[in-house]
Amino acid sequence: MIKIGIMSFAHLHAEAYIQNIRSIPGVEWIGFIDPDSERVKQFSEQFRTWGTSDFDEFFAKKPDGVVICSENNNHLSMVETAIAAGVKNICCEKPLATTLEDAEKIVSLTESKKINLMTAFPMRFSAPIVAVKDQLDRGVYGKIYCFRSENEGQMPSLHRKWFVDKKLAGGGALQDHLVHLTDLFRWITKSEVDSVYAQSSQCFHRGEVDVETAGMAMLHFKNDCFATIDCSWSRPDYYPTWGGLNFEVVTDRGAVQVDAFRQNLSVYRHDIQNQVWHYWGSDSNQGMIEEFAASIREERPACITATDGLRAVEVVQAAYESAASGKTVKL
Amino acid sequence: MKVGIVGTGSMGSTHAMGWAETDAEIVGFCAESVPEAEPLAKKYHTKVFEKLDQLLSEADIVDICTPTYLHPTQVRQAAKARKQIICEKPLALDWQSGLEMLRACEEAGVRLLVAQVVRFFPEYAAAKELVDSGQIGKPGTIHLRRCSYRPKKPSNNWFLDEQKSGGILMDLAIHDFDYARWVAGDVRTVYTQKVSSLDPSSPIDFGLTILTHENGTLTHVTCGWAYPPPNFQTGFDINCERGAVHFDSEETMPIHNLIQTDKDAPDVALPGSPLAESPYTSEIKEFYRAICYGDEIRVTGMDGVKAVQIACAARESARTGEPVQIKPLEGVLK
Repeated sequence: MIKIGIMSFAHLHAEAYIQNIRSIPGVEWIGFIDPDSERVKQFSEQFRTWGTSDFDEFFAKKPDGVVICSENNNHLSMVETAIAAGVKNICCEKPLATTLEDAEKIVSLTESKKINLMTAFPMRFSAPIVAVKDQLDRGVYGKIYCFRSENEGQMPSLHRKWFVDKKLAGGGALQDHLVHLTDLFRWITKSEVDSVYAQSSQCFHRGEVDVETAGMAMLHFKNDCFATIDCSWSRPDYYPTWGGLNFEVVTDRGAVQVDAFRQNLSVYRHDIQNQVWHYWGSDSNQGMIEEFAASIREERPACITATDGLRAVEVVQAAYESAASGKTVKL
Repeated sequence: MKVGIVGTGSMGSTHAMGWAETDAEIVGFCAESVPEAEPLAKKYHTKVFEKLDQLLSEADIVDICTPTYLHPTQVRQAAKARKQIICEKPLALDWQSGLEMLRACEEAGVRLLVAQVVRFFPEYAAAKELVDSGQIGKPGTIHLRRCSYRPKKPSNNWFLDEQKSGGILMDLAIHDFDYARWVAGDVRTVYTQKVSSLDPSSPIDFGLTILTHENGTLTHVTCGWAYPPPNFQTGFDINCERGAVHFDSEETMPIHNLIQTDKDAPDVALPGSPLAESPYTSEIKEFYRAICYGDEIRVTGMDGVKAVQIACAARESARTGEPVQIKPLEGVLK
């Protein structure tokens, strides 16, 4: 049996990952550590599981792998703690870090200690995206020129307050939503970003938070592909779902439009007098956690690495620099 | 009043349908060659003018539906003849020419009405009205999408000649540049990347632009000549402080035609949901009322110039890879 636990329930994805871990045959869910004893109480009750705020107690369970879901700025210290305790496999929530220095430290630590660190980019496991990537790889859709994309969402402080805390989250919408599509386009084009232009504003929820709530970026890749990403928290609180991720890939033969979260039922509810979307598509988190478990079992690096996380952090930092200066930033 | 239509391509014939719905008399058509103008002249039981001068001598209003690069000379000629002028978009290939055209018309005491037709599409007009009502607050981010196929004319395809059409940013994206200004006001910065700037030999073209408005609104404009005919998709999202408006031409199409056909798609794609009155006809009618009775219109000559200015900046940005600042034009005309 492979033993997996979660470090911190600060990020709401932990609530999904615990169920993902529990449903994998051959994987033993060992429980979680959260330095915040309030959260330990809340989530151990909610998920009827063992949790502790004592790191030693947690590592005494000898996890083969941990999934880190702390606040963004705590990723480095969580990684260091896990490695010091002898953990060899880590899946770390995105963004890998809130600063370039932290991200680089994580990469060099994992390299020198030969740690399998998977950055949590679940969209690489989205069934519609995998299907399109497969056709693109086989050349069915032609040569890629550019992408238009949106990863818009509701303001995440609806679920967790720290998402809008500059220090804990590392920023606002650019920090939260730029990395998924950046990673997908790197993965699809097999090329690296060489320049970034970005603009941001606080037009949504103005006055409620001190981070940017809107952002648009244009990435240019070494192979001459380019991409726009809207990463704004522009979805109203009563939107039928949390947000979404979609892109249009333009090739020499036309274009393909992909909406990763389109597989919904439209549900009308008397109790809330509103329409909600009920997602029935495949769970990409499940695919990602299964890959993490498989990499532990097969003693190999996961298909997404710490370096993938670092590359996305570089783009986010360049976007902040560009938004501040108004100029394109070369990488 | 008597109207003469210059240019008999897809816009000339579309405008003619609009004029037929007014009490104006179509005195005739003028095209590059007489045979080109003959089918339309026959359809509307009117004549062909060999030269623009001949048309100007018989018309009160001249409706210019020619390729973009011809607009400045023809508008100046019409202004000199003191005719009321309607000019297809883009007004000109550069904003300096646009300003000169505006000045020439002012001096001649004639109106210059620029056919930025998207302002007459009911879905676009309704969204603008909704934003203006203040119900949903100030726009924060806007997405405007417009993509079809490359205009395919059997010969002399001026659309594909950047010298004559200005390319996709000038010919297609200009609709959305103008609409963005209409909804969120003047633009400060333009940043664009475009497929044909990076790969001139590409069989498709696609442009992505980020506009920063003076008021801080961010607008993302997508334009494409990339889809297989007969596809033409348009759409927008206007995300505001207290709400949002979403439109997608595919989602709102009331008819889905799945009938087999051997018919080819038209040379130049025009968007449009079935309506009692075509937006092109609404546009001609409003322009005609403005000319006859001085009624207010929703698009000024200066709007036409400013749309061109944004498109010029987008072309420059696509070429240089750098953001381009927009120079305020207020006061320049006087």
